[in-house]
Amino acid sequence: MIDFTFTEEQELFRKAAREFAETKIAPHVPMMEETNGGWDEVVKELAEAEMFAVTIPEEYGGLGMGYMGRLIALEEIARVSVATAMMYQVFGLGIEPIMKFGTEEQKKKYLPKFVTGERLPTVAVTEPSGGSDPKGARTTYKKVNDSYVLNGRKCFITNSHIADVQIVLAKDEDNPEAFTAFILEIGMDGFKPTHIEHKVGMRGCNTGEIEMKNVEVPAENVLGGEGKGLKVSMSAIGDAGRGGMVGCALGLQQACLDESIKFSNERILYGKPIGKLQAIQFKIADMKIDLEAGRLLGYRAAAIQDQGGRSSNEFAAAKYYTTEAAQRAAKMAVDIHGGYGCMEEIPVTRFLRDSYVLGPSAGTSDIMKVIVARWAVS
Amino acid sequence: MLNIIVCVKAVPDPNDADKLKIDPVTKSLPRSDISLVINPLDSHALEAALEIKRNDDAHITILCMGPPPAGNIVKECLALGADKGILLSDPAFAGADAFATAYTLAKAIEKNGAVDLIFCGMASSDGATEWVGPEIATFLNMPVVTMVNEIVENAGDEWIVKADYEHGYRKVKIKLPAVLTVTRNLNQPKALSFSGILKARKKEIITWDLKDLGVPVENVGLKGSPTIVTEMTRLESRREVEILEGSLQEKVDRLIKILKNSGVVNV
Amino acid sequence: MSKIKTQVFVMAEQAGGRIRPVSLQIVGKARHLADQLDSKVGAILLGQNVTERAQELIAAGANSVYLGDSDSLHPYQAELYTEIIVNLLLEHRPEIFLLGSTFMGRELAPLIAAKLKTGLTAHCIDLLIDNEGILEQKIPAYGGMITIICPEKRPQMATVAEGVFLNPELDSTNIGDIIPIDLPEKFPLRVQTLEIVVEKPEGVSLETASVIVAGGAGAEDQDGWQQIAKLAEVLNAGFGSTRPAVDEGWTELETMIGQSGKMVSPELYIGVGLSGELQHMVGIVGAKVMIAINNDAKAPVFEQVDYGIVEDCRTFVPALVETLKKSND
Repeated sequence: MIDFTFTEEQELFRKAAREFAETKIAPHVPMMEETNGGWDEVVKELAEAEMFAVTIPEEYGGLGMGYMGRLIALEEIARVSVATAMMYQVFGLGIEPIMKFGTEEQKKKYLPKFVTGERLPTVAVTEPSGGSDPKGARTTYKKVNDSYVLNGRKCFITNSHIADVQIVLAKDEDNPEAFTAFILEIGMDGFKPTHIEHKVGMRGCNTGEIEMKNVEVPAENVLGGEGKGLKVSMSAIGDAGRGGMVGCALGLQQACLDESIKFSNERILYGKPIGKLQAIQFKIADMKIDLEAGRLLGYRAAAIQDQGGRSSNEFAAAKYYTTEAAQRAAKMAVDIHGGYGCMEEIPVTRFLRDSYVLGPSAGTSDIMKVIVARWAVS
Repeated sequence: MLNIIVCVKAVPDPNDADKLKIDPVTKSLPRSDISLVINPLDSHALEAALEIKRNDDAHITILCMGPPPAGNIVKECLALGADKGILLSDPAFAGADAFATAYTLAKAIEKNGAVDLIFCGMASSDGATEWVGPEIATFLNMPVVTMVNEIVENAGDEWIVKADYEHGYRKVKIKLPAVLTVTRNLNQPKALSFSGILKARKKEIITWDLKDLGVPVENVGLKGSPTIVTEMTRLESRREVEILEGSLQEKVDRLIKILKNSGVVNV
Repeated sequence: MSKIKTQVFVMAEQAGGRIRPVSLQIVGKARHLADQLDSKVGAILLGQNVTERAQELIAAGANSVYLGDSDSLHPYQAELYTEIIVNLLLEHRPEIFLLGSTFMGRELAPLIAAKLKTGLTAHCIDLLIDNEGILEQKIPAYGGMITIICPEKRPQMATVAEGVFLNPELDSTNIGDIIPIDLPEKFPLRVQTLEIVVEKPEGVSLETASVIVAGGAGAEDQDGWQQIAKLAEVLNAGFGSTRPAVDEGWTELETMIGQSGKMVSPELYIGVGLSGELQHMVGIVGAKVMIAINNDAKAPVFEQVDYGIVEDCRTFVPALVETLKKSND
C-alpha cells in the first residue's frame, strides 16, 4: 500500500513555511516588483527562518529535512513570491553539489556557513551559448603549478550578485572533453558579477552575469575531482535544480487557483458571482486537476530521492508537467479576471509574467521531453 | 524550577467559520472536515509560558482535552517550545460544557503533580466561554486573575499583573500557585520554526483516558455538564437585500442618495 | 435576615458610586422573569459608600437589596466577593442568578458557578422562562441561535452584556427591603486587587448614536481602518467594530458591537468590510436602514441588510468619502 499522506511533521513544516511566506516574504513583494531588487532583505528573512538549513545534514548544523522538506518550503514560498522561491531554490542547487561531491574539508568549510546564511552559494553553468549543452561552453581552466587559472563568462546565473560561493563549470583549455567544477569565491582576483538582467517576470529575483579573468583557483577548490565536472553539475541540476523548479511551479499553480477562486466569488455578473458559471468552474477544475497531478509527480520524485534513490528522470517529467501547468494556470487565472487581468496591481498579471520564466529555468520543456524520451526508451 | 501548565483547546479553524453553520433542516451542526487549530488565545497563553522559560528555569506541560486529532495541536505546541504534552482523550469526555471541561482538566493537573502556574487563553474562539480558567482555579483551590494583559513583576511567588478592566486596567497581586487567563495584548506569539518542529520529535505526548484519570464517568463529558443545548435554529434572512450595480462611481452616487433618503445623514 | 422568598438574584455592580447601566437593565429583566415565576427579585450590591444607591435598584424592580458597604469591598476583590455571594446564594437558594458581562462579572461568575457546581452561560442575548419554569438562555453561534438550559443544578446562571435589555423605568415609589450583609472578618486574600485605573473617559456613546459605521477585518490594515474612520467622521456617525478588528489591534475593545460587546440601535447602520457573523449582527437592534460594503458577494452580511455593495472597502470607502466631501463643499 502506498501512503500518499503527509506526516504530521510534514504538515507542520508546511504550516511553518506558509506562515513564514505570508508574514515575512509577502510584505517585500511590491518592492521587489517595483525595483527588481530587494534580494538582500529577502535573503535575510530566509536565513532567519532557517530556510538555508533545510537540506543540509544535521552533522553540519543543518536540519536534514531532505527533498520533501525542501519541496514543501519551496511550494509555500512560491505561492507568495515565485521570485523569492527561485532564489531560494538556486541556493539549494548550490548547496547540493557540495553535499554530494565535496570533500570532508569542503563540507566543513562551507555547509555550516550556508546554514546560517553567512555564506550563500550558487551554480554557474549556463553561458551565452546555452545551458543545456555544457559541452559547448567556452569557460576554460588551465593547470598552472598547483592551482588552476579560469577564464570566461557565465550568464543567466540566478543569485549571481548575492552568492559569494559559486560553483563554476569549466573546460580544460587543452582537452575539450575534460570538464571540472570549481568552487569560486567572491574576493578571488579577476572574479566578479557584472551585468544584472531585467526579466519579464520573477522581478526581484537576482539574475545576472559573472566574469572570470585569469582567476587563480587553488586545487583544494576543485569539486568532485578533476575531469568530473559534468557529473557534478548535471547531477545537481538534474535533482536539486529540476526538483526546485517543481516547487516553484506548484506554488504558482496554487496561487493562480487561490486568486481565481477568490475573484470568481467576488465578481458579480448577471446578478451572481461568476464562480457559479460553468465556464469559470471548468477553468477552476482544470487548474485543480493540474495541481493535483503535478503534486503527485513532484512529491513522488522527492520521496524517491529521500529514500536514497535518484530521480532526475522523474523530476524531468515533473518539471515539464508542473511548469507547463503553471503557465496554463496563469493564463486561465488572467482570463477569469477579465479586464482586471490586464491591470498590473492585480496579482495574476504577475503570475503570468512569472510563469513564463519558469519554463526555461533549469532546462526548457523541450529539453525535459528529450530526457523523458531517453528515459522511456532506455 | 517553575512547573507551568498551559491549557490549550483545539478549535475549528476560525478562517473556516462559514463552513460551520447550523443546518436549517436538521437543526444541528453538520459533520465537517474543518481542520483544527490552536485556539488563538491559547497561543498567547503558551507564549506567556515560553517567555518565562526563556529567562528562568521552567518546565512547560501542554494539557489538551479533545478527540485524537487534537494530538496534532499538542505536537504543534511542543514544536513551539513546550516540553511535554498531555492529551485527554476518551469518548466519555465528549460534549463537555465549561464546567465538565474544567473539572476534567483539573483532575489531570492533580494527577500530573506539582504545578506553580497554569496559563489559559481568556476565552475559546468556538464557544466564546471564558469560564474554564477560573473554574479550574476553583477546583484546584488556587487564586486566579482573568484577562491578564501584562506581567509586571514575576520574581518569587508573589506576582503582580495587570488585567483588562472597563476603560483602563486592574493591577493585581497574586500568590503562586495560581491560574492566569491571558488576553492577546499580553504578548506576540512567535512563529513555528523548522528546528522547533524537529526538536519536538524527542518530546513526549501522553494520552490519558477516563480510566487513567480515575474519575466517575458521570462527572465528565455530557453527563458531567450542568448545561445542555436544547435547540439550534438557523437565523433566516430578515431583510430583502438590493445589491447595487454599476461602476464604482455609480455605486457611490447611488449610496449617497440612499443615505440622503434615510433622513438621518446630512449630506 | 429576610423572610422574603426571592428566586431571581442579580449581581448589581457599581463603579465610581454609580450603578452600572447593565446592572439596572438586568434587574429590569429579572423583574419580568420573577413575575412569570411568581417570585421576587434580589439584588446584591457590594462596595464602599454605596448604601445610597440601593434605592435605585428597588426603583428598577428589585424587591430586596443585599447590601455590603465597607472599605474592605473597595476595590473589587475576587475571593472576598465570591465568598460573600456564594454564602448569600447558599442561604437563599435562588432559581436564577444573573450578572453583567463586565470584567468583574466575567471573573466572578465562573468562580461562583464552580463553587456551587452549577452551569453558567456566557453573554446571553435573550432569557425566557419555558413551560416548566426553566430559564432558556439564548446565545448566537454558528450562524444561528442556540438555546441552553441548566435543567437540574441551581441557580441557573448567566451573564448578559450592556444594552441587551432595555433600561428599566425607574419607579421611585417602589418599596423594597435593604438588607445588610454580614461581612466576613479578616479575609485572607491570595489574590489582591491593588488598584483599578481608569485611563480613558467614556467616549461618545455608540448606544445612542443614530448613525453607526462599523468596520471589520476587510480593512486589512491600520490604513484601511483609518479610511473607515474617515467615513464615520464625515457622516458624523458612531464608529463601531467587530471582534477581528479589535483582535488586529486597530481599535479598542470598547468599540466592539455584538454579543460580547455593545448592543446598539441606530437608525442607519453601515457595515464595512465585515462578513456579518451573527456574534456581531445581534448587536444591532432595530436599525431602520442597513447597508453593507464587502468584497465577498457570498458574505452572510448581504442576507441581513437592505443595501449591499460588493466592492473592496479599501477602494470603495475612499471614493465614497471623496464624493461626500465634494457634495458637502
